[in-house]
Amino acid sequence: MKEKLDRLIENLDYTLLFAVVFLCFYGLLVLYSSTRLAVTVGSDPYFFVKRQSLWILLGFLFLTITIFIDYHNLERYSKLIYFGTVVLLIMVIFAGRSTYGARRWLAIGPFDFQPSEFAKIALIAFLADFLSKNKQKLNNFFYYLLPFAYTGLLILLVFMQPDLGTSLVYLAILIIMLFAVGVKIKYLVFTFFATLSSVPALWIFLKDYQKNRLILFLNPNLDPLGGGYNVIQSRIAIGSGGFLGNGIFSGLQSQLNFLPAQHTDFIFSVVGEELGFLGVIFLLGLYVIILWRGIKIALEARDLLGSLLATGAVSFLFFHIVVNIGMAMGMLPATGLPLPFLSYGGSFMISNLLVIGILLNVELNKIKW
Amino acid sequence: MRESSTIPEDVKQRLNWLLIFIIICFSILVIILWYLQMIKGEEFKERAVENCIRSLVEDAPRGRIYDRQEELLVTNRPALVVSIIPAEVDDLEKLIERLSRIIGISPEEISQTVKNYRENPFKPVKILDDCKTNKIVEIEERKDELKGVVLEVKPRRDYLYHDFAAHSLGYVGEIDKEELQQFGNPKFQGGDIIGKAGLEKYYDNILRGEKGGKEVEVDASGQEIAVLLYQKPVPGEDLVLTIDRDLQLYGENLLFNKKGSIIISDPNSGEILALVNRPSFSPNIFANGISSSDWQRLSSDADYPLTNRSVQGVYSPGSIFKVVTAIAALEEGVTDRNRKIYCSGSFELAGQVFTCWDETGHGSLSMVDAIAHSCNIYFYTLGNDLGIERFNKYMQKFGLGEKTGIDLPEEAIGIIPSAQWKEREVKEIWFPGDTINLSIGQGYLLLTPLQVHHIITTIAAEGEVYKLHLVKKIISADGNTVKEIKPETYRKLNFSPDTFKIVKEGLRQTILKGTGWRANIKELAVAGKTGTAENPQGETHAWFIGFAPYENPEICITVFLENGGEGGEAAAPIARAMLEKYSDIKR
Repeated sequence: MKEKLDRLIENLDYTLLFAVVFLCFYGLLVLYSSTRLAVTVGSDPYFFVKRQSLWILLGFLFLTITIFIDYHNLERYSKLIYFGTVVLLIMVIFAGRSTYGARRWLAIGPFDFQPSEFAKIALIAFLADFLSKNKQKLNNFFYYLLPFAYTGLLILLVFMQPDLGTSLVYLAILIIMLFAVGVKIKYLVFTFFATLSSVPALWIFLKDYQKNRLILFLNPNLDPLGGGYNVIQSRIAIGSGGFLGNGIFSGLQSQLNFLPAQHTDFIFSVVGEELGFLGVIFLLGLYVIILWRGIKIALEARDLLGSLLATGAVSFLFFHIVVNIGMAMGMLPATGLPLPFLSYGGSFMISNLLVIGILLNVELNKIKW
Repeated sequence: MRESSTIPEDVKQRLNWLLIFIIICFSILVIILWYLQMIKGEEFKERAVENCIRSLVEDAPRGRIYDRQEELLVTNRPALVVSIIPAEVDDLEKLIERLSRIIGISPEEISQTVKNYRENPFKPVKILDDCKTNKIVEIEERKDELKGVVLEVKPRRDYLYHDFAAHSLGYVGEIDKEELQQFGNPKFQGGDIIGKAGLEKYYDNILRGEKGGKEVEVDASGQEIAVLLYQKPVPGEDLVLTIDRDLQLYGENLLFNKKGSIIISDPNSGEILALVNRPSFSPNIFANGISSSDWQRLSSDADYPLTNRSVQGVYSPGSIFKVVTAIAALEEGVTDRNRKIYCSGSFELAGQVFTCWDETGHGSLSMVDAIAHSCNIYFYTLGNDLGIERFNKYMQKFGLGEKTGIDLPEEAIGIIPSAQWKEREVKEIWFPGDTINLSIGQGYLLLTPLQVHHIITTIAAEGEVYKLHLVKKIISADGNTVKEIKPETYRKLNFSPDTFKIVKEGLRQTILKGTGWRANIKELAVAGKTGTAENPQGETHAWFIGFAPYENPEICITVFLENGGEGGEAAAPIARAMLEKYSDIKR
């Protein structure tokens, strides 16, 4: 045990860890700025910050646990993880708590958690195991379609909640991992066009609000006070930040509540308005460090399983970051994907840190001891 | 120790590509960010400021109006307005249905109103103005079900006596597009309440006051966060009228169900004590924004209730005009106190026969008797001797054909015929017979009751005419006198004292033994003249003009009854009642 700890202390990727810890504090500061005036129980300005801090601590606990379990155990348990997740997602559909017309939550004791969030990690684990074992067979087109079937089941289950954004994350993880494992590019191109051509067919399965979001993404000014309001206000907030920003706690849009969902989906806009171009570049810099270290870990992993695990972790974070920021700037449709380490939310924060745990795990196991 | 990596080369290659892709994506994000924050930054900053700064106008309370005893006539009361703030509504359809059941406006109408005002969902949309108390109570009770419905208090003009002196007081309403353009003043904005008629219009500048306002910082729900600028509104100033409430009310009751006017003024100052016009209307129906059905009813009424007859109506004056003929003839030396003219009952001129109202004839009459008995033949003769040129000169001296300058808008000027006028308007030459008709106040001549009143004022004051007016003083909202309206000389007519003496004597005799006997009062020496004017509209107009007391007159009266019959029979008793009431009040 002592030997294991020494190894850990010696080999930990401190750059990655430092970037994550720094991001968490950065996130707490911005979260405080955007929620200190919010109406909460007991009108405690630290209400959201306290809860988020709790999630962060919990997340680091899970991260530590993750580090200590050798990822090679996945070779035995990946199927179990996958089917366990399917069962949980089915439970959500039948027994979940619903908010805003969507069932996404399962209650465990006093806490609600989002199985679809942890399903992202389960999917990464399962796909890493599956793809690393079957790398050669994937050159067969029909075999190539098999991971789509596994992922498709998860997508279908969260789509029924309904949660369009999360199902897109699953798809992104799958595509990036397939790309990394080395499937033929023509297969991927074919998949891309096949998906594109099925969009009209999928359209009928979309809920009205989802259709609206897509239409409003194309032209937010159609309904500036309804669905397009969020994006317009968010752009105003980011733009008005300028180079240095209005200063923390001083954003007009943020502090006067013109920004909707500013502690969750649109927290990036608060950064943009209050901390300006400089603050955002700093934030993006931290993200780039994490993703770069992630790819580095993937490249230096001991085996393909580790490499793919790291790739999955990177793809998860990467997709969330780009889609969330693109949405806040009005460049991508509002899909409701939160921003890693900044957006308020327990399940999401814990899964972010779990993903970092996976990266550190792969990194620590790159050498066989 | 470290084993060599088992990761296939192609995977490593793909991972390197992935890193490049990630860097490209982040670069794109940085470029867009640069565009938003560095290039468009200033523009967005302005929009952020616009978002949260609101200018709110605070209306000044409009000045009140009092009668001459400072009894309140017109004031402002709080009116409750029911509005919907669309942004605060969860289920608009359900809300409209519930609200509709309480206030009794159809759901379709409400949703149409809400739709029309969608520019800012945080701005209240007015659904019902001046809501009744019982409905307000119900809305308050069911507040929880009516999220998004707000009650606002707005000042509303309140005319305490409804149709009392409506034509003089006038009414207020929302400024319309033409008025906005016409005033072209940044002080005015759409939705402002301004005077639209009567004193409300004439003294709008004084009554309106000055709007205040503030610039506030608001949050997304429109909640005030901070006041950046504040200017207190300056309340409008109050008017104290020359009108006596009790005398005016008494006159309005006398003319109940009749058409016509009563004017009572003090010849020594021009102050109007009563300005009665019938039929009337209630200015209160304009205060809430008049409904189209009310407007239709009022504006298409054949009796023209909206017309201020004494100021805007023009009528044949009939025999009361004989006093003007008399003065002109006396001044021009056409006649004197002693000249007697024989009335046979008819008068012939160039083959045309003009009759007296008494066809049996008055016999031989002096000027005083001719006035008292209102003999047509006597005045035909004077008119014929004067000729239209000289006659016209005197009408102008009296100020006929001009505005009296009363402090009311849209005063009419009537028609003062002359040879030139007839050629221009009727395209005919002036016949001597036209002068004959004019001499007894018939023919083309049309005067407003106010102009007629001016004639009797001139005689009572013996040439020293004061401008007729309705406002005695202007006082500030805290009760200090801002301006006292002093009697203002309208014009001075330098007729010989004898002329006035003879005419006045004639007017006194009219009451004592002539056509005006019904206006005789034992305790008050009344002098006056009746008139019965033929007109193309049908039944004759009944007129009475007079003053009292005979020596040192302090009150002048004009009674006009549109299609009211004979002056002596219909108008004189009303004048008598008014003068008695006046004496009562004075005592």
